[in-house]
This record gives sequence, C-alpha cells and structure tokens, in this order.
Amino acid sequence: MLVSYKWLQDYVEIPWKPEELAERLTMAGLEVEGITPLAPDLEGVYVGLVQEVKDHPSAENLKVCSVDVGSRGSFSIICGAPNVAAGQKVPVALAGAVLPGLTIQPTEIRGVLSEGMICSQAELGISDDHAGIWVLPEDVPLGQSLVAAVGLDDVVLDVSVYANRPDCMSVIGIAREIAALTGGALRLPPLDYEELAVPVTERTSVTVEDQERCPRYTAALLEGVRIGESPLWMQLRLWAAGMRPINNVVDITNYVMLETGQPLHAFDFAKLAEGRIVVRTARPGEEMVTLDGERRQLTPDMLVICDASDPKCIAGIMGGEESEVTRETTTILLESANFSAINVRRTSRALGLSSESSSRFEKGIDPEGTLLASRRALHLLQKLAGAQIYAGHIDIAAAKRAPKVIDFDLREVERLLGVAVPREAVCRILRSLEFKLEEVSQEHVQVTVPSHRGDVELAADLVEEVVRIWGLENLPSTLPPDRTGAGGQSERMAWAAYIREVLVGAGLQEALTYSFGKPDHHQRLLRGEAAVIRLQNPISEDLSALRISLLPGLLEVVSLNASRQQTRAGLFELGAVYLGELPLVEQPAEEWRLGVVLWGQRQAAHWALPEAEYDFYDLKGLLELLLPWPELEWVKGQDPAFHPGRQVTLRYKGREVGVFGEVHPQVLRSYRIPGRVYAAELSLEQLLPFFKLVPAFQALPRFPAVDRDLAVVVEDEQPVGDLLLALRELAGELLQEVSVFDVYAGQPIPAGKKSVAFSFRFQGERTLKDEEINAIMERCVEGLRQRFGAEIR
Amino acid sequence: MLSKVEEIRKSALAACAQARSVKELEQARVQFLGKKGELTQLLRSTGQLPPEERPRFGKLVNEVRDELEAAWVEREQQLFREEEERRLAAEALDITLPGRPIARGSVHPITRVIEETKAIFMHMGYEVVEGPEVEWDYYNFEALNIPPDHPARDMQDTFFITEQLLLRSQTSPVQIRVMENRQPPIRILAPGKVYRADSDITHSPMFHQIEGLVVDRGITFADLKGTLELFARRMFGAKTKIRLRPSYFPFTEPSAEVDVSCIMCGGTGCRVCKDTGWLEILGSGMVDPRVLKGVGYDPREVSGFAFGMGVERIAMLKYGVNDIRLFFENDVRFLRQFGSQGGRLC
Repeated sequence: MLVSYKWLQDYVEIPWKPEELAERLTMAGLEVEGITPLAPDLEGVYVGLVQEVKDHPSAENLKVCSVDVGSRGSFSIICGAPNVAAGQKVPVALAGAVLPGLTIQPTEIRGVLSEGMICSQAELGISDDHAGIWVLPEDVPLGQSLVAAVGLDDVVLDVSVYANRPDCMSVIGIAREIAALTGGALRLPPLDYEELAVPVTERTSVTVEDQERCPRYTAALLEGVRIGESPLWMQLRLWAAGMRPINNVVDITNYVMLETGQPLHAFDFAKLAEGRIVVRTARPGEEMVTLDGERRQLTPDMLVICDASDPKCIAGIMGGEESEVTRETTTILLESANFSAINVRRTSRALGLSSESSSRFEKGIDPEGTLLASRRALHLLQKLAGAQIYAGHIDIAAAKRAPKVIDFDLREVERLLGVAVPREAVCRILRSLEFKLEEVSQEHVQVTVPSHRGDVELAADLVEEVVRIWGLENLPSTLPPDRTGAGGQSERMAWAAYIREVLVGAGLQEALTYSFGKPDHHQRLLRGEAAVIRLQNPISEDLSALRISLLPGLLEVVSLNASRQQTRAGLFELGAVYLGELPLVEQPAEEWRLGVVLWGQRQAAHWALPEAEYDFYDLKGLLELLLPWPELEWVKGQDPAFHPGRQVTLRYKGREVGVFGEVHPQVLRSYRIPGRVYAAELSLEQLLPFFKLVPAFQALPRFPAVDRDLAVVVEDEQPVGDLLLALRELAGELLQEVSVFDVYAGQPIPAGKKSVAFSFRFQGERTLKDEEINAIMERCVEGLRQRFGAEIR
Repeated sequence: MLSKVEEIRKSALAACAQARSVKELEQARVQFLGKKGELTQLLRSTGQLPPEERPRFGKLVNEVRDELEAAWVEREQQLFREEEERRLAAEALDITLPGRPIARGSVHPITRVIEETKAIFMHMGYEVVEGPEVEWDYYNFEALNIPPDHPARDMQDTFFITEQLLLRSQTSPVQIRVMENRQPPIRILAPGKVYRADSDITHSPMFHQIEGLVVDRGITFADLKGTLELFARRMFGAKTKIRLRPSYFPFTEPSAEVDVSCIMCGGTGCRVCKDTGWLEILGSGMVDPRVLKGVGYDPREVSGFAFGMGVERIAMLKYGVNDIRLFFENDVRFLRQFGSQGGRLC
C-alpha cells in the first residue's frame, strides 16, 4: 500500500520524520519497503499565468506564450502542447531549473527565443501523463515555487501489509497503528452532510439474493451531481497512492477506499433498469463488459450486482462499462458493501482480474465499515460535486455478528514471551489499538475485539499485539531447557554424508537437479512408456513431470557443460525419484537414489598425465570402492539406455538394486552429448542394510606370505571374472588374494586368444612350504585347463 | 726388498689419489692389494729373505697394507660423495612445473549450507528428520492453519498434482508429521526440498528450506530469539547480530521475521543489504495454539517455537552468489568453487 506522509498527518500527530516513521512501522509489523518523494526537487519551477498565446511565425505546431510569473517577471515561452490557452495557471520552468533528465536554458527555436518551459506532469516527473501541459487550479498562488504551492513536498511510504491485516490497507488503519505507537489520538475525518427530505427508499430498492456472498449492502442515492475534476489535493493523494485521477465522483470513491479501506462503487443511476439493484449470482451464459473494456464470461458461482435485468458490476472486483459514471451522469447510486472474501478471491482468480477493490475484499474486511465509508464519501460528494442526497441509507445486513470477546489471562504474556511486560503497558497497548478492556481480576481481562480486527481470535493473538507495539527489541535472549537428550540424524542422512565423502574424495562433484523434468525423459532413455506423475500447473512443459530416474537430469547437466566448452565432468547426485501408480491416489514412493555420470577426459590436461578419457572401468572401480560387499551380484545387464555390451545390473538376493555402464550412443545423441558417458543409478533404499555393516577386524598375519604369478592363454571371449571365481575356489583357504595384473592380446599370442596374468598371495597361520604352494598352483593350472581350455603361457 | 716396499707404497698411494671413480679405485686396489696384487706378491717373497730379517719385513709390509687400505677407504668414501653430488646435480628438476593433480571433488553449495546448519543444531540437541516432498494439502496447508481459500495460500504459488496432493511449498508440514507421532518434548530440524511456481534471478521452482521446531512446557519467544542468535553467530560469525521484526505466518502467533546484521558490511550499509544494514534470513514464531490443538496437544500446557529458512538465500549471502539459477544449472566451473576451503573467512 502506497501512502502519503501528509495524508497520514491528517489523522494523527506524527512526531517522527518519514525515515523514522518507516523504521517504527517496520518494527511494529507494517514493513515499509520504500520511501520516495512524491515529486523531484523541482527548484526553479514556478506557478505562472499564461497571458497571451500567439502562433509561432515559422512553426505550425508551436505557440509563443507570454507568461506572467509574478514578481519574477514576464517571460516569452514556446510551447507545443495542444491544450495551452490564455488564462491558464501553469507550471513554468525558468532558466536554470533542473527537471528529471533536463536542465532548462534559454533556447532559440526557429528564430524565436524561448525563456523557459511550460511543463506537463510527465516532464516534472510526478506522473506519466504527457498528453499536454499541466493546467493548475485557478486558486494556486501566482509566482510561488510549484512544489510548495500545490503541496508536492510530500513523501510516499510503500507499506507491505500482511494478509491478516486488511484493516491496514487504508490510511486510517495505518494512522491507527501510528497512534498506538505514539500514544496519540486518532482524528477521524468529517462525515456530515445535508440530506433531502425524501427518503432513499422511495426512489430505489436493493434486493440481496445471496446473503452468504454479500453479508452487507449499503446504498445511498444522490442527484444533481456535477461531474468535473477533483481538487488538486485529492488528485495528488491518488497519485501518491498509485491511482489515476478520473473525475470527481470516481476519485472520491477511490479516495475514500484508500482512506477507510472500504471499496465503494458509484453507478450511473440512469443506466440501471427499473432504477434498482439486485445482488445475485450470475446466470449461466451471462456476460458483461468491465471498465477495462474486456468482455467477461460469468459463471453461476460469481456474485454480480445487477439492475432489474442484467449484471452491471462484478461484486467487489470491477464495475461495468454500461453503468460507468460519465460527464453526463447526474444521479448516482453509491454502493458500499461487504462481499465474502472467498467468493471475491475465487472470482478474481477465475477471471484473471484483480483490482484495488478485490485485493481488499479478498483478505476479508470489516462488515461494520460500510456505513462510515458511505457517509465519508457523501460528505465529499456534497462538498466537491454538489450532490443532493436522499435521506438515509438502504442497509441490508445479515444478522450482525456479536463482537468477539476474549478471556485474556495476562499471565499468557509472560508464558509465551518469556518476559514480563508490565500489566499497565499491556492494557495501554490493547486500548490504543481500540480493543475494549474490562478488568475482571488482577490476572484476567475481558477483551472485546474491534470489528475491523477479524484476525484476532485467541489470547496468543493479543500477545502478538502487545509484543509488536511494546517492541521485539525488548525481548531477552534465552535458550530453552533441553529435556530431549542428544540430537542426531537419521541413518539415511548419515550414509548420504558418507557416500558424499567417498565420491568427493574420488574427485567427483555433487550436482543438484530439479525433481521435475520433461515428460518424455523415459522415452529418451529408450526405456519406452512409463507412468510419470505430472503437475497440474507446471511453469513449463520442460518442468512438468516428476522424475523417475536421476539419469535424465544428470545427462542434461553433461549436455549443458559440453555446450559451454567443458571437456570433462564427473558428477553425482543424491536424491529422490517419485514412483506412483496412476491415477495417483496415494503419496508416491520417494525412492532415494544415487546417480553418477563420468564424461570426457579423466583428468584435466596436464603435462605429467597421459591424456585419457573416462572408461567403463573407471566407473566400475568407483562403484567397487563404494559397494565392496561380496553379497552383491554384478551381472550383465539389459537396460536399453545403455550400450548392450557394456553394462552391469547389480543384484542383491535376486532384486535389482542398480545399473551402470556406458550410456547408449542414441541416448547421447538425443541429449547432444559428444563422446561417451558412463553412468550409474543405484537405489540406496535397498542398499541401506549394507551401509549399516560394521567393519570386522581381522588379526594381522604373523607369518610370511608367499607370492606367485600365473599367466594363461584363453579364448578372447572368455570373461576373466569366471577365471577369478574358479581360481578362488581351486586355490582354497590359503589364498589370501588373487588379482589380474595383465590382460594381453596380439603377438606372440595366437589370434582369437588372450593372455591373462594373475598374481596370488598365499597366507597361513604357519610358515608355508614351497611344495604345498606348488601343489596348489598345479591344481589351479589343471583346473583352468579343464574348465576353460587355458594353457600356461 | 725394503726399498721395494717403499716403492710400492708410493705408487699405490699415487694410484689411489689419482683414481677418478669408484671403479678406477677398485682396479687400483686389485693391482696393489688384490690376491695377485703387488704388495701381496711381495709378502709371498718373504721366504727369500734371511730368517732374521723376515719379522721386520713382514711387519713393515703389514703396516704398509694397513696404511694403504685406510687410504683406499677414505678415497672410496670421497669418490662416492663426489659421484653422488654429481648425480644429484644432474637430477635437478624444474620445480616451477605444476604438481601432479590430486582429484578432489566438491560438495554442492546447498549441501554445504544444510550440513553446516545441521551440525549447529545437532550440537544444540536437535534431531534432524525428513518428510515427504509429495504432500497432502492437509499437511501443507490445513493443519498449518491455512484452510482452503485462505489468502495466505497466495503467498505461495503451489504446484498441484491432484486436488489433494501437491509438491510441498514449505518444510512446515514436517512439523505436523512429527507432532502427530510424538509427544513433547520435541526438538527437531527438518531440511529438504520445497517447490513453488516461480522462476527468476532470486526464485527457483525448486529450492530448499530448513525447518526447526521446539515444543515443550515453558518454551518462549525469548528462547526462540536466543536460539536464533546462537545459530546466526555460528553460521555467519561471532559478531553477527539479529533483529526480530513482527510478521505474519498463519501457523505461528506471534510471528517474527528475523534479520541478521549484513554479512558484507557488518551493518553499516551496502549494496547487498540495500543500505539497511540488515538481511532477512528466516521466518519464525510461536506455534499457533490452533496448530498445537490440531495435533492433539494442549496449548495451555505446552508451547513451542518454529522457524524456517531458505537455504539458497543463505548460500547466496554466504558465498556471494548472485543468481539462484546457478545452483541448479550445475556448471562444473561453478560447482568446483565449493570443493575446498578458500575465499573469505566468515
């Protein structure tokens, strides 16, 4: 809410400069987000009187004006505005004046000297109106500085009002808060006016068909209205509030809305069929053109204000073009109503239409406020538009709600705040906010909540009122007594930290990608159709489906890095995938996974390292480091997202717990990734039992080990893993370790064969004899020969 | 014979001194002191001497042998040192070449902030818990005192999946899940992903929050202030001050926005804090009695405080990141910067 500092001063004494006021309001819960002057400095701009207007001798669209600037003299000024005329009071910028982005100098224009400039509002930087020069009211004192003469020496506070405080969407509401802070009194504006003898009920009627959506409808009727401009002071305040002046009647309704927080609407009475108002929901197929010129389709849950036949206004949101107040209007029906917040909110959303009015109704405003606002508007309409007002109001209200009364135990203040606020201060603060207090006992007070404070219902709400005015800076800092014992974290989180430590130590970078992506990601992984959970209201199609795999997100990251001249990436991500049956009726499983991708060079180019790209065994080694448990089975995989000959499925007790390998080149093409990518995705949920394993200590050997090597030649296709398994079995208990230290094909090994070299270490609880190791090695050689046709090399 | 001994001695010492390498020295040793060496052969010829001269001659030869052997040892050590010096001199490296790189990865900056925050609160006895990201409307809104059509729903543009299921727009539903399953005393911290339909330089459709909740008898607003003060000092440095500003959240009453003194300028005013000296980092308050009642607690018996902070916001402030989208783009040049300690001290 934008509010003028001077306007606030109308209702309350403010002992603070705007900056301090802003600070005080912010610390009381009305955050002031900005302070801006209403107008720039405008030194050198004065009020002048146009005495004479002549055509420029050599420029068709220019006029040469003679302008009287009081004691400063008379000046010849060239003006191109179409609306300049003799007799007007105008803002005149004389030589040396500084306007936004412009310093005024005497200038010769087509052979005629111009000694200054007659300004538009836009040129002065006070509005964006540059249709013509700004014609000032006649009573503005001639020759005075413009800023002082018209009251532009004001500042505008931008107050951010929380959703629970619609009462502060008004100048009086903010003034009330200031009064509570200063301890001063709130001065309400005058509401008095003369009434005609004829009661309003003789001229019009109001029918409210839906009292739930319209708890109160207050109408007044006025005639003999003279439509014209509103006074400058009112226009300035509307500008300050970010609204555009239109005519005196519309300006008054807006002014009173800003002042009291109660939206008003003025109907041109002559345009209302049968001269009456019906408040009802829209009929199927009804439509109307709103003030912004848009045709709106109405639905039967929208509340509309109608005449005897058609909708004339969307309740609480925007009026219709048809019954708009125009220059010809003389008789006006003034609406001051209360509409259900929910209905206004829903209608506003459905139509995609919001206004100053709807933003107030949506938050729920005081139903008791309609009459006061109407009276205030009538006062102004009589004073400024000559309105003759029929006696009384039509006031249709649902049963009046009893005021809320809270039995307030004053000890609650200390129990919730942890500090004792003096009883006297508590009572003073609540009274200053217009709560009525009846003291029952030393500890109990009956608090009656004012009708504009719909947000206050409980003792805790009263404690908040007290502390925000008393000052949160007065709150001490204490620590709560700990009765919960030691803290900690879930095993899952602890293991996430462990996995991060291992992978970061291995040189990988942790990535974090969105939980949602393109709905066709599964197809792009060549995995076919899959059930993905989709958002009803995504911000884009690209972010519309919850992920069921971490791989697409990581591949997109690789793709992005490839497009940014990067040559390598080793990344991992820990996060959930969302697996649910469609249509979704239960919360989906959020399965916790680890994704890994390796792409491009193994290391950044370096003089001491050979240039090499990541390969399958880099990824396998990484996973062997992370998952060193013999219970896991590493078997050939069949995932279409991966290279058919370069992938592994990880199984535990027959269940698939992960997959890794080289990503299929077709997948990489669709992600525009050059080169090869090695990727893994593991379900950590299923691996969690392993992570819980406690390391089991084994005593260090006391006897010397015996090392042997063995090289054999086998068929090229023979998986080495089979040989290793066989050797572990053949070598028996004394074998401590067997590793593959060389795999070689080519001369002198015959074509179609390869040589595999193993290194053994034997270890026992005694000193091993050469002969027994020889026997074991012979057994191994013989076993490999029989099972795999292996020959010793 | 005696003069022969002296002759051998002289030429042996000369050869020893002239040897240019350990190898030459060894050749000379063999020539004079070897089994067939000159001195050894001279000793063998002792028999040709008259018996009375033999002891004297033998003694002399042995003396010379000892002398020569000592000379050899000394010369050998000297030559070894010289050779080693030459070898070391030849081995000099270009110490200005960069060292062989050790691969060290990096933890994501969001993880860093979460882990740091977890550590601070775990030291204060908080238990870190998690909750589902796909949440019921009830937990995300209704149980938090935000009924349908409540204007506070506008504060958060929520992603819906079905009428009742949504992507949680805050970590606060974890409060409800914890309170539904436990009795006070409660002291938890709940980090996690949250989602709102918003995307620009300071808003991401997915981001992270950390929620805290303490419920027990006698928990006060002052306890909240003290707790957050301690957190701010540990997170942003010992000189950090905090400021509570009254605010509004449907599920806390009273509520406060918490500012920390600007971590860039220390509170004197700068671009980061927009010259206010303060940075808004979290929302907090006393758990609303309606929320306590909703989970079956008696709000007259127990009270509690809750707070929630945006992890990205803290990471942006702490590391000086100026665009929230960088966190989810995962440019490796961005990620790399969070791999090791570096940058400014906090």
